[in-house]
Parts: sequence; C-alpha cells; structure tokens
Amino acid sequence: MTYVIAEPCVDVLDKACIEECPVDCIYVGDRMLYVSPDECVDCGACEPVCPVEAIFYEDDLPEKWADYRQFNADFFAELGSPGGASKIGQTSNDPAQVRALLVKDR
Amino acid sequence: MTDLGLKAKDFKSDQEVRWCPGCGDYAILAGVQAFMPELGIPRENIVFISGIGCSSRFPYYMNTYGMHSIHGRAPAIATGLSTSRADLSVWVVTGDGDALSIGGNHLIHTLRRNVNLKILLFNNRIYGLTKGQYSPASELGKITKSSPMGSIDAPFNPISLALGAEATFVARTMDSDRKHLISTLRAAAEHPGTALIEIYQNCPIFNDGAFDVIKDSESRQAWIINLEHGAPLRFGTKAVIRNPDGSLTVEQDVSDDEPRVVVHDAHGDDPTYSFALSRLSSFDARYAPMGVFRDVRRPVYDTLMADQLAGAATGTTTDDAAFDALIRGNDAWTVDL
Repeated sequence: MTYVIAEPCVDVLDKACIEECPVDCIYVGDRMLYVSPDECVDCGACEPVCPVEAIFYEDDLPEKWADYRQFNADFFAELGSPGGASKIGQTSNDPAQVRALLVKDR
Repeated sequence: MTDLGLKAKDFKSDQEVRWCPGCGDYAILAGVQAFMPELGIPRENIVFISGIGCSSRFPYYMNTYGMHSIHGRAPAIATGLSTSRADLSVWVVTGDGDALSIGGNHLIHTLRRNVNLKILLFNNRIYGLTKGQYSPASELGKITKSSPMGSIDAPFNPISLALGAEATFVARTMDSDRKHLISTLRAAAEHPGTALIEIYQNCPIFNDGAFDVIKDSESRQAWIINLEHGAPLRFGTKAVIRNPDGSLTVEQDVSDDEPRVVVHDAHGDDPTYSFALSRLSSFDARYAPMGVFRDVRRPVYDTLMADQLAGAATGTTTDDAAFDALIRGNDAWTVDL
C-alpha cells in the first residue's frame, strides 16, 4: 500500500506535503508531485496538509482519479528508488498522460 | 541463507496500522518488513515480542507470530521462548520508556546473559502513548507535562547503558534512513546472542524534531559519525581523536596524516573503546555515531542452558539414592526435640 497524489495537484505543486514527509519520498515533476510507492511508509503525514486535498490512501482514491495510482508509479520507471527526493530535485519524469493534461488556469 | 520467495508484503498483516500520521514507527515497520525476507526463515518461525508503548503495537502489524506483552517484561518473555525454542528467530520491540524505565532491570540482565534475542529499542526521548511526559532518555531541562519547570533527571545514554551491561552487540540507527536501518538489522541478525539496536525515532506529536540536526541534509554531515569496522572515523572536515588518557574527542580540520585519528574496531574484546565512542553522543556534544559500536562473540545463554539440560537428561542420577542425595544435599541436619 502507499499514498497516491491525484489530479488536484496538477500545476499547483504546493509542496506542503514535502515538508511533512518523514522519509522524503515525495518527488517533484514538471506538472505535479509524486509519491514513490517503494519508499512510502504509509504514515499519512502528507494527506491532511495538502491544501487542495490531492493526496489519498491507495484504497481511498476516488474512482475518477484511479489512473493516478499508476501515474505515481510510472514517474519512477527510470528514477527507480533514489532513497530521498531532496537530493534529486525537480525532474521531468512525468508520465506522458500527465504531460498531456491541459494546463489549468488556477 | 535460504530464499523462500517471501517479499516485504508477505510480512504485512491485515491490521490497520495505528500510529499518529508522520510517526517514525511507520518507517521502521517498513524497513523491518523489507528486511525480513533476507532472514530466510519461514514466517511461522519468527516471533516479535513487545512490551507497552507506541512502539509495542509492532507485533500486530507483522504477519508473524507475536505477543504484545507486559510493560517492560518483553525481554523476560522472549528469554523463555528463545531458550526453549532454538528453532525460532525471536525479536523484541521496545521503546525508551518500556526498556529503560519500566523494564530497565530486565534489559540489563538479558544483555549480560547474552540470550539469543534481537532487541529493537525505538528511542523518541518521550513518553508518547501517555501523551508527552519526559522519559529516561529525555534531556535535562526538558519541559513536558510532567516536568513543567524542566526535567531534573540526568538521561540514560542507551548505548552506554548496554555496553556497561556487557552487551555483545550494540548498534544505533535511524528511522528515516532505510538503507542504514536494514544494514544494521542484517548485522544484528547475524550476531549469535543478544543484539541491541537503538533506533532514533521521531515522535511528530510530542517531541517533534528531536533528531532534526542529524536528519537535515544540510547539517547532518557535521554531526553523524558513520561507524564502519576498519575505517577511520572521519566525517566532513572533522575526525574522532584518541587522547593520551584513552578518552575520545572530536577535532576540526584534521590533516590526512594525523596519527591520532581513531580507526573503528567493533570486534575488540575490551568495551572501553566502544564506551568512549558512545559518550560522544551525550547531550552537550550532539555527535551521533551511527552503526555497530560493538560486535563480539561470547557463549550464548540458550546454548549453555540447552547443554545443561541435555547433560542432566543423559546422566545416571535417576535412581532413588541419587534422588535422596539431591534432596538431602550435604547440608542436612537433625533437630533434637
């Protein structure tokens, strides 16, 4: 199990969750943030601090955003499990489906 | 090691994990579950025994046998199990309150006996389950609900305590460093006898940030001393120096050819060196030696006990005369009325 970041984060990237994560497993892409499913320890610290309520426990992910479970995993296809997001910084590993989303006017 | 094809998820139970959001215990649980397949031991031969406290909820979340036992008494229960069932891998999960306060006596006697247990001591330097009173590991002057004017108790240094109790394996690691945590678990699992691992664990609710200085990617290089057997204790521009009186101190800007730089020896028979190393993490000097302080071989209690039992069972002292001699001993006397 893992936490998953979904559509509300797209083009927001508030990063409040990054401050809270005790194991530094929330990575920054171009369009949104992603939780590493291998490194997440399911502690739930990120979920309540998200200002746009984009973070869900895997089992509680709304049906309309079910694809984001795979999007979060796909972000790490090349990155693997670096063992800490802060040293990696922003990367452009966003999956094609996320990159293809229309830019939202927030 | 036998590969049984087990994965980390095989060690997750069906119980909902109930610690506070952000608790370091989640990271330790994930690390232990990731390490377990390496043991090569079937789940039914692994047992986690805990005392009382937040950390002691651990056995519920492991898909192994386990027991959430009595406050401070996990080492005693685990000793009984380990000595009577040599086929089991027995782990104790405890915290700084459970192990150092309520169960202080059980801990030190388990360590000196060298029972074949692996003890994971989650140290968050606070009583979390009871909502924030100072623990035996809380620093002097700490203001808590039970010490409103600041704690006047000098804290235990768990590593120093374990070394003083003649522990044969003593190590320290941290909740958020998965790689280091797993390598330390591996070293402990390979050690015959009692292995004590102190795990620095952040309590985000009642003692948040207790270990920030050694977790922060900017500052940790200045404070963490990585212990690797045979490697010089250098970190950043600093190094651990041996003084003429045998004590250890940290010095700045140490040249490459400085002969006083300590080379880590975890296997030396004399615990004096490991003890001196443990003193570097007292509260006025915030250095954090991380890794295996001491790893030496000594007869294991379980084996010694099994040998005595086997010897007794195969002896010839089963006849009546021998029984009478045992009952009377050489210390009988007659009472004249």
